[in-house]
Amino acid sequence: MAVNKQQKFAKDFWPYVYRVVATVIITSQLIVLLVIAVILYLFGFYETNLVAFAAILLAEAVLGTVSSVAIYKLVAQPMKDMLAAVIHVSGEPTATTPPNPNDARYEQTGFKDVLQTIYGLASSDSDKHTTILSSATDAPAPITAPVPAVKLAATMLENALNETNCGFVVMNHQRNITFANKAAPLSVDTNGVTSLSLIFNGRETLDAWLEECDKNAVHAEHTWSRIADKLPEEDNRRFFDVIASYDKGAESEVVLSLIDRTHLYEVSEQELDFIAFAAHELRGPITVIRGYLDVLEDELKDVLKDDQIELFHRLTVSANRLSGYINNILNTSRYDRRHLKMHLAETTVNEVYDTIKDDMKLRASAQNRLLAINIPSDLPTIAGDTASLSEVFGNLIDNAIKYSNEGGSIIVSAAQKGDMVEIYVEDHGIGMPTSVIGNLFQKFYRSHRSRETVAGTGIGLYISKAIVESHGGNISVRSEDGRGSTFTVSLPTYTSVADKLKAGDNSNEGLIEHGEGWIKNHSMYRG
Amino acid sequence: MAIKTILMVEDDRFIGEMYVRSLKKSGYTVDWMVDGNDGLIAARNKTYDLILLDVMLPERRGSDILEALRGGTEDLIPHSKVIILTNFEQDDESRMAMEKKADGYLIKAEITPSKLLSVIAQFDQPA
Repeated sequence: MAVNKQQKFAKDFWPYVYRVVATVIITSQLIVLLVIAVILYLFGFYETNLVAFAAILLAEAVLGTVSSVAIYKLVAQPMKDMLAAVIHVSGEPTATTPPNPNDARYEQTGFKDVLQTIYGLASSDSDKHTTILSSATDAPAPITAPVPAVKLAATMLENALNETNCGFVVMNHQRNITFANKAAPLSVDTNGVTSLSLIFNGRETLDAWLEECDKNAVHAEHTWSRIADKLPEEDNRRFFDVIASYDKGAESEVVLSLIDRTHLYEVSEQELDFIAFAAHELRGPITVIRGYLDVLEDELKDVLKDDQIELFHRLTVSANRLSGYINNILNTSRYDRRHLKMHLAETTVNEVYDTIKDDMKLRASAQNRLLAINIPSDLPTIAGDTASLSEVFGNLIDNAIKYSNEGGSIIVSAAQKGDMVEIYVEDHGIGMPTSVIGNLFQKFYRSHRSRETVAGTGIGLYISKAIVESHGGNISVRSEDGRGSTFTVSLPTYTSVADKLKAGDNSNEGLIEHGEGWIKNHSMYRG
Repeated sequence: MAIKTILMVEDDRFIGEMYVRSLKKSGYTVDWMVDGNDGLIAARNKTYDLILLDVMLPERRGSDILEALRGGTEDLIPHSKVIILTNFEQDDESRMAMEKKADGYLIKAEITPSKLLSVIAQFDQPA
């Protein structure tokens, strides 16, 4: 590969081809038009039949251009695909997806083999650099006798890898582990099969990512942070940042680098454990505070002046928010222990919202926000855990209040989308840049900006996502920096999941299956 | 069945007084017991329309009281409703067992006296 001084990319070749072809088509059409015009003129069409003269020229111009472009497309497509494949193989930065050899179109035409050859060439090329490693992993492999020097280097490298406390795992196309160093978190089941022991959060698992890669990637890389290898109660729990590299068709198709971050993450885990314990202790006093406020406000309502009532509202709002945060902490600790259980029952968005209606109204008015609720009453019923979902709505509205300005409006609406009911919480506040959105639902995540200006724990959205996904739903956000954000919660309609629910006993983990949004394993009572 | 008489078994003085005050103000007759033994004796000696039962109690736990009243072959309080009222985090089985025998299960931190009143009002007009 010729590397020039003036950074050039293979992908820059295509615009060049495109320009040349466009020029040639336009020029050739102009020449043809000119020739026809001259001939027609000589035969006297111009004078005797001007309409025919013009019609013939126009027809030729249109047909000529269309057919040229069509032929160009047909001829150029394979070249374009090949170029795209080469671009990906070369590792240039690009936004395009590489052509997938398994595309039905390619299989029909036989172009599949061409693409596979390109990808094959690329992976055998990169294998040259990694022979040392792979010969180490396939120790008994009957390949041609390895050169002693290489073998020595392999052993040395293997020893070296075993010295580090970072894990390295190599998997082949069948997802069997072909190499793992000492520090890699592995577990062996009763059948003697070795597998990775990593607990991913929610749906963004390694398996899901690899499945996605198999479908539409050639080279890909992904990073997960804060992934534990064991459940919270277990001994010697470690935390990793996991970096996965995927190289389609290569002998070492998946390479995982696991950076041990236990010392960093464990501290906050311990803090959370402690906070969960403390949060539970806080429930007693918060019960009393909210209760007495309720009693007092009722008993004093005839003697209090308006501004005093406002002060009472502020007390109530603050106590309710405190109670919400405590619930977030308790639920997060349950979820992380795989102990969060949903009691799904037939309900409506309105019924769920009704349970927090007064509280939200008070919160918005106490903080000078306009809260508009626009939930149609004819929406289909959903399968929901009322208490958990109301916490999700509360969190989203609380955020909307927090990240909007005095006097700003917050709109809560809902609509049916196929088998889902979508709930939208829209604010016109400070919004956020796209770079923030990807991390928004991570535990403890606070954007740099909000860390300095807005109070918060960074678990509200994390637990909201967990709760929504445990319902088989989805949570997402659209935001524009400076213009506001819209959070969307979509939940399956009751009818679309009723069969699954009835198959279980309404609180059984069996009913919540994996795939298509159902999450297993989160089973426990709230409360 | 209209609810008029209520037995409350609750060891926290603040929480107990809070509910008793709000319930009395709404016109209910309320007896309040602080420990589990007294609670069980009161429930056996008098017929209440509703029993509000805490779980963590001195002398005898709420779950034991419920077991004693409704766990045997015979329901000893056929004319009473029972609502469990607790902040205690129970494991699955114990909670399930209590829920089966009770008519309601509420988390104290999640309700206020006025919400409790509306729950009781729902018993008054069964759907």
